Amino acid sequence: MGLLTDPSVGHGALTSIFVRHHNRFCILMYIASVVLFCMLAHDSFSSQTYFSENALLPGLVKGQLNDNTGSSFKDHYRELKAEAQYFETETPHSYLISKFKNLRLETYSHNFTLNYPLKKNTKYTGRNVYGILRAPRSASIESIVLSIPYRAPSSVFPNTLPGLAVMFQIAQFFRQQMYWAKDIIFLVTEHEQLGMQAWLEAYHGTCCGSPGVLDSGKLSGRAGAIQAAINLEIHSEKIDHIDIKLSGLNGQLPNLDLVNLAHRLCNKESVRHTFNNVDGGAIGRNKVNTYYTNLSTMLSMVMTQATGVPDGNHGLFHRFGIEAITLEGYEKKGRGIYVSVLQVGRVIEGMFRSLNNLLERFHQSFFFYLLPSTDRYVSIGLYMPCLVLLVGALFLKAFSTWIQHSSEHKLGDSLSKQATISEHLNVGVVSLITLGTHVLGLILLPNFAPAYFTYFWDHISTHRALLMGYGLLSFIIVCIMPILMKKCLNSFKVSNWVLLHVICLLELGIGLLCVSMHNFSLGYLTALVYVLPAIFTSSSQNKIGVKFLWLLVHPMCSLIWITAIITYMAYPELQIVDYLTKVIEASGQWMALSTVDNLVYGNWAFSISVLLLLPVWTSFWCLMFLPTNLPQKYKTE
Amino acid sequence: MFIALSPKSIIEYLFMDKLLFFVCFIGILVRIYLSSSDFGSSIADRVEVSTPLNSWKRVIEGVSLYNENINPYEGDLFHETPLALVFFSYLTSILSDFYVTLVFIGCDILTAFVLYSTSKIYTKNLIIQQTKTKNIYNKEFNKLLIPDDFSVINPVYVCSVYMLNPYTVFSCIARTTTVFNNLFLALCLYAMVKRQRLLGCLSLVLASLPTFYTFGLVAPLMISCASTDSKKKTGSFLITFLTCVAISCTFLYICYTIMNEWTFLDSVYGFILNVRDLKPNIGLFWYFFTEMFEHFRALFVCAFQLNASILYVVPLSIRLRHDPLLLATSLLALTAVFKSYPSIGDVGFYLSLLPIHRHLFYFMQQAFIVSCFFVGCTVFAPTVWHLWIYSRSANANFYFGVTLAFATTQIFLITDLLFAYIKREFALKHGMKRMINGKEARLMLD
Repeated sequence: MGLLTDPSVGHGALTSIFVRHHNRFCILMYIASVVLFCMLAHDSFSSQTYFSENALLPGLVKGQLNDNTGSSFKDHYRELKAEAQYFETETPHSYLISKFKNLRLETYSHNFTLNYPLKKNTKYTGRNVYGILRAPRSASIESIVLSIPYRAPSSVFPNTLPGLAVMFQIAQFFRQQMYWAKDIIFLVTEHEQLGMQAWLEAYHGTCCGSPGVLDSGKLSGRAGAIQAAINLEIHSEKIDHIDIKLSGLNGQLPNLDLVNLAHRLCNKESVRHTFNNVDGGAIGRNKVNTYYTNLSTMLSMVMTQATGVPDGNHGLFHRFGIEAITLEGYEKKGRGIYVSVLQVGRVIEGMFRSLNNLLERFHQSFFFYLLPSTDRYVSIGLYMPCLVLLVGALFLKAFSTWIQHSSEHKLGDSLSKQATISEHLNVGVVSLITLGTHVLGLILLPNFAPAYFTYFWDHISTHRALLMGYGLLSFIIVCIMPILMKKCLNSFKVSNWVLLHVICLLELGIGLLCVSMHNFSLGYLTALVYVLPAIFTSSSQNKIGVKFLWLLVHPMCSLIWITAIITYMAYPELQIVDYLTKVIEASGQWMALSTVDNLVYGNWAFSISVLLLLPVWTSFWCLMFLPTNLPQKYKTE
Repeated sequence: MFIALSPKSIIEYLFMDKLLFFVCFIGILVRIYLSSSDFGSSIADRVEVSTPLNSWKRVIEGVSLYNENINPYEGDLFHETPLALVFFSYLTSILSDFYVTLVFIGCDILTAFVLYSTSKIYTKNLIIQQTKTKNIYNKEFNKLLIPDDFSVINPVYVCSVYMLNPYTVFSCIARTTTVFNNLFLALCLYAMVKRQRLLGCLSLVLASLPTFYTFGLVAPLMISCASTDSKKKTGSFLITFLTCVAISCTFLYICYTIMNEWTFLDSVYGFILNVRDLKPNIGLFWYFFTEMFEHFRALFVCAFQLNASILYVVPLSIRLRHDPLLLATSLLALTAVFKSYPSIGDVGFYLSLLPIHRHLFYFMQQAFIVSCFFVGCTVFAPTVWHLWIYSRSANANFYFGVTLAFATTQIFLITDLLFAYIKREFALKHGMKRMINGKEARLMLD
């Protein structure tokens, strides 16, 4: 009970040490956080993956898929290639439907329309084809999905036809088996993620993005509740390795058991399997090398997750509580041993047989993890402290600012003087600034401002209009705030603006914690950028260096820095002028893409930056330009 | 949360009046805007706001069953008293949906003004008492005196906290019946400072009829309505208590005559006591009783309910017998934490009572941490709820963690407030400097 009732709390020796040296402690915490994060990749922090759900194990029996019964893979593939070349830019719907029907699947097609949100009267239509294999051993209560994005030969992405041929082969084999207790849906989608999203929305009868943007249409046939889904992208007959992709929309991850299952089955079928295109297992590597490989794998996972954009069609399933992964088979270049398509088929067979045996939906194992390797994981209990250290630094800063301020005024130790404390906090101005910055954030939300920008700059392309709109607005705010603060609020001169400072720090801290509960990577990377300037800021008399630092991390500037780095890594040979135009172009495209993602899929990245980062940034910017008295002057009063 | 503008001169007193109107205006505007937007219905569906006991949806269901001549207490749906049933049935029959919302908003404004005058009278009484007893206290007491301007500022704070607190705003736009409950509680507090026994008893019974936990407020009512003559004190206590019991019995009998049977007792009080609905809320019951083995249930129900209802009444009444309003505040806060179906409307109500005790703030130490945790929990609860229910990636433990933190925060706040009262008392008698043999002494609460 001492914690509750000891009156010396807040005035004790330990507290005063913390308060006096809080900046040093904050920086220490920042460094500790980064160090701890890097340590996570080490074997002593990550643990070996394991199966938590025993019901998944039966699929590890010998695979039976073969080329001997019915038409072989080669036949399917040849037929498919001929058909695909006939339609240069379109999907051969009628062929797919007839093919599914020949395989004796219940076949349906599904139409959808996208009303492009940033340009009026622009519509795109698409059509998915899917076939359902009804389970002979139960009513249609549950189902599993095998999906493939169809890519016409003119597509910029690598083709998926071999995967489609494997699907036919698998469907033909599955049709003959008697052990299915869950329906199996074979789904061929069009227009990459858009088709997938439309199909999922139609299947569940909801709308995830802005209403009226994606018209998902209706499905004429359904199976049971989807338990799991596997998205297949195989680019060639001769496969070098299978890469297993996890990152979903808004950084959601599938259950670790499903990921383990995929890796384990690949192992069993001796298919080379990777995560983020890096092999697992430390055989043949020394310890230092293993650590570096693990670290880079983990970092690349963090980068992928932080964007909040799914790295495959599987990512859209997660929101509906469906566990899903993508198996991407890369082409084997040159000679040597390759993985045959049939081996991959057997991996999928094993996965489906395992999933078929599930009695409850995935609930064991982990939903929050980082993977430094194919067979190791870092659980939430280990990586969360990294973020807690960063956010803790913000809280410590807020706490010590507050204590310092109140103890300064308590020196007089009188109740009547307490009134003067509150007077110096200027609630009115502070609430006006806080409210104003958040209203600004609300206005800039993707379903409001972009439509006006594109309407205003009608003649230029969308991404330029967006970049100009947001850029100009940010520029105006950056320039006008200091003048506004200095001129209009001169009568409100006080020694410091503790309340505003504390509110900013707390909002940033709590906001980051909430973001990282959903998407750790995004939360952590944002924290890495924004915690440092927040620590260096004080509630009065900020140095010019701090102001400059804040200017560098303005959300728009951050976007440009990130694009600049990525562009440099992608095209190191560009001339400086070309390079700069490329960076600007890419930033604009990134914004347009993010806006559309928000409106169609409900991606939060844009909303977070506009509703959390921008208001906090603007409040900090105001804080630094609010008029203050010199401290000496105040003391003489 | 305890800081705002503080005027010094008479001109600024007038400014307080303007501030009061401004705050009320903003409060009303926010309520009307939010309840007319889509936001209102999504707030009403939140488990933090609507519990089985106070949700408007259930009231509507119960009323329509009643109008169809079906007994609403037969199912497990309706848990208001028959009095409320008749009242809401009448209300919905004469008013359209929009006007019903206005009734709720009107009740909230009324509550705010009752609290305003309660605070005003209470602070004035405190100052009068202070001038009487000045001589008893230590010479250093000047610093601890309640300044005169508190009687002007505190009421405005109380009113503005009630009008602008998101908890009460959400509770109002979700049209929870907690709004009416809060009105009766405010009236009861008003009767306490006015020392009006009959009004106090009546409003107390009306407030405690649907939840019964708040019947504990009879203790501060007894103390405040007692006569100053020490011989008659016991008799006066007894009269207050008996009046409350008598009014309760009368109301229960009226309820009986409305329904013509006693089944409503089980639907209202049995439902509260046995905790039959384990839907998550901000309280501590749901998680505990889902996890527990069934045959221990009776034992733990008794333990939990005793803790929530009467455990603190007697000891706190003895300790805080000189300050019935503080006693009432702490009892309300404790029930809001420990009762079986708490909602943020209850939390909002006792939070708005805190500025009444502003003279104690000087001795409170956890204010910063407590307010951080309040904000944090308020933001976290919907976040982990989303992860649990929609994303299916988190689980019940995450949400329970947040509610546990919320309860702990509230207990910190209550303890801090009560301890501040004791520290102030001590300081008034012995001065601010706590020195024993030249060393600084520490106050301990044993």
